[in-house]
Amino acid sequence: MNLFHFLIQARISSYFLSRARSYFLFAIFVGLLGVKVDVWANDHFEIVINPSVSEVALSANSLRSIFSMSLKTWPDGTKIRVFVLSDDDQLHKAVSKGKLNVFPYQLRSTWDRLVFSGTGQAPVKVNSIEEMLEKVANTPGAIGYLWRANINENVNVLQIK
Amino acid sequence: MKMLTCSRLNSYFGNPSKWVAKGVILLFAIGSISAQAQESPAQKQSELIKPLNKRLKSIDLLAQVAETEVSSVTEKPGLVSTAMQWLRSTDRPGDLQFHGFVSQAYITTSDNNVFGNSDNGGSFGLTEAGFNASVRPLPRLQLSAQVLSRRAGEGSSGMPRLDYAIIDYQVYAHEANQFGIRVGRLKNPFGFYNETRDVAFTRPSILLPQSIYFDRTRNLGLSSDSVQLYGDAAIFNWGTFSTQFGVTLPVVDNRDTESSLLGLVRPGSLNREVSYIGRGIFETNDKRLRLGVSGIWLNTSYDPNNKLNDLIGSGALQFTPVFFSAQYNTERWTLTSEYAIRPFHYNNNFGVAEPTARGLNGLDFVGESYYFQGEYRFTPKWEGIVRYDALFTDRSDRDGKDWVAESPTRRSGLAHSRFAKDITVGLRWNVTPQFMLRAEYHYVNGTAWLSGLDNPIDLRTGRPFDTDQHWHLYAIQASYRF
Repeated sequence: MNLFHFLIQARISSYFLSRARSYFLFAIFVGLLGVKVDVWANDHFEIVINPSVSEVALSANSLRSIFSMSLKTWPDGTKIRVFVLSDDDQLHKAVSKGKLNVFPYQLRSTWDRLVFSGTGQAPVKVNSIEEMLEKVANTPGAIGYLWRANINENVNVLQIK
Repeated sequence: MKMLTCSRLNSYFGNPSKWVAKGVILLFAIGSISAQAQESPAQKQSELIKPLNKRLKSIDLLAQVAETEVSSVTEKPGLVSTAMQWLRSTDRPGDLQFHGFVSQAYITTSDNNVFGNSDNGGSFGLTEAGFNASVRPLPRLQLSAQVLSRRAGEGSSGMPRLDYAIIDYQVYAHEANQFGIRVGRLKNPFGFYNETRDVAFTRPSILLPQSIYFDRTRNLGLSSDSVQLYGDAAIFNWGTFSTQFGVTLPVVDNRDTESSLLGLVRPGSLNREVSYIGRGIFETNDKRLRLGVSGIWLNTSYDPNNKLNDLIGSGALQFTPVFFSAQYNTERWTLTSEYAIRPFHYNNNFGVAEPTARGLNGLDFVGESYYFQGEYRFTPKWEGIVRYDALFTDRSDRDGKDWVAESPTRRSGLAHSRFAKDITVGLRWNVTPQFMLRAEYHYVNGTAWLSGLDNPIDLRTGRPFDTDQHWHLYAIQASYRF
């Protein structure tokens, strides 16, 4: 009886093993399609801040509050100034989905609600990666994001806990 | 994007060509339901560049130049955008910002008038424009103001008015927890859409669901002079609960509000009395689920003008609606529903002299409204919407028959003025992030939310001149923002 069970199990497992790679790929594929996490992209960008900001690490919740424009000051009381790329920019999408865990259209509607009800401000839109680097490097209290390849010594990378 | 994902798998796992084939099939199956929104060719290029970055780290400069080019593709140079560039410039003292919008709609109806004489060949009667400025002189202090012009039928002339003017001080802030106070003329926070209802970009459709966002009493609902406390609190790791509570003086001194609350534009005026408004919204951290409840306690009273032989007395009325809101967001779908229960209470001082005012005395009824709405993003540029929206002026008399029975001679055939059920389908095209076009169709059964000013009442009979129960509405709209 046990042997019989074992044989059946062995058959089943060999059947599945032969397809294991397939199922594995399948699962990854579904994951890549359905879930919004761009795993590979996460490795290629960072949240960057102006060197005047004393923070080195921030919680994911705080980061979301900052990009939702509801948290307006750094812990030392200075102004936070948020810089973003256009809604349809690839880096903006990667940061929204990968780091903030929201879709770009949701950020847009959050900002619109603030601006047109008078209860907040929108982040400042920059038109290029170069401009992002330049603004974050030169604006006190600035926060933004960059591809790793574009980061230089004029900005600090902020760790997200 | 999806093709790229396939090819990336290809290179990682050797030669799984059959998996690519399966993947493509899966892609079509999932793609239409929940997959990632489509990417434009410009972004495909930028994704292609990223692997390059990885390999060519030593040639950072090259990659940087390439990416910069791609990023700048999205920004189209144009006369208007160049002109607007100074408005968007970032190097201003105090983080001064300017924003604004202009929208124009064309509306045509089979019967009944919406925003002008729409049933007679259509009308360009709905024009909205706004301009706002905000400044942060101190890290926690914000000043902001908006001027709004709205031309919409007989109810709104287009005369610019002060929409909001706010002093906002954030008293406390730590991570996702904040607490602050606002003083000035504030937008009334109720439901999901009220505060930004005049900004076409923030609306799901050209006409908001009229059962809840009445356009005929809009001035009453829109903004009021108030003191408001607000706070955000993180709820464990689930999300954020945001609350607002305000003590207000409502804006009631306008013809549309009078005609809605008192049946007609009266010679006297409505008084502004202390009223209250509050809202709480829970939002999960990924903003997928949003749940809200809002309430208003509106007080107003009527001052008759005796010199002009006013026929109604100095009555008072209370309007105490409660709104429940729910929304679920995915990459492609946004599902929204709101429900409102709207109790009205009129006291006994309105007098009995005039036939159309007699009904106001001691009037006590509860209205009910709700809608279900689905928005679908085919691509980030193209969106569709379907909605069912229902309004009952008196929820104990949903077909209006009891109301007719109270005064059969005057009200026969007007039961349809006590309800409205609206089926809407629409399409939106985000041509650029700044410019949007859309079109929609409504099939409406009932006339409860029609403006009495656009569809006047015959004073001799107390009946509208010409309204029909079943009607169609077509609308198109163009909107620009900065």
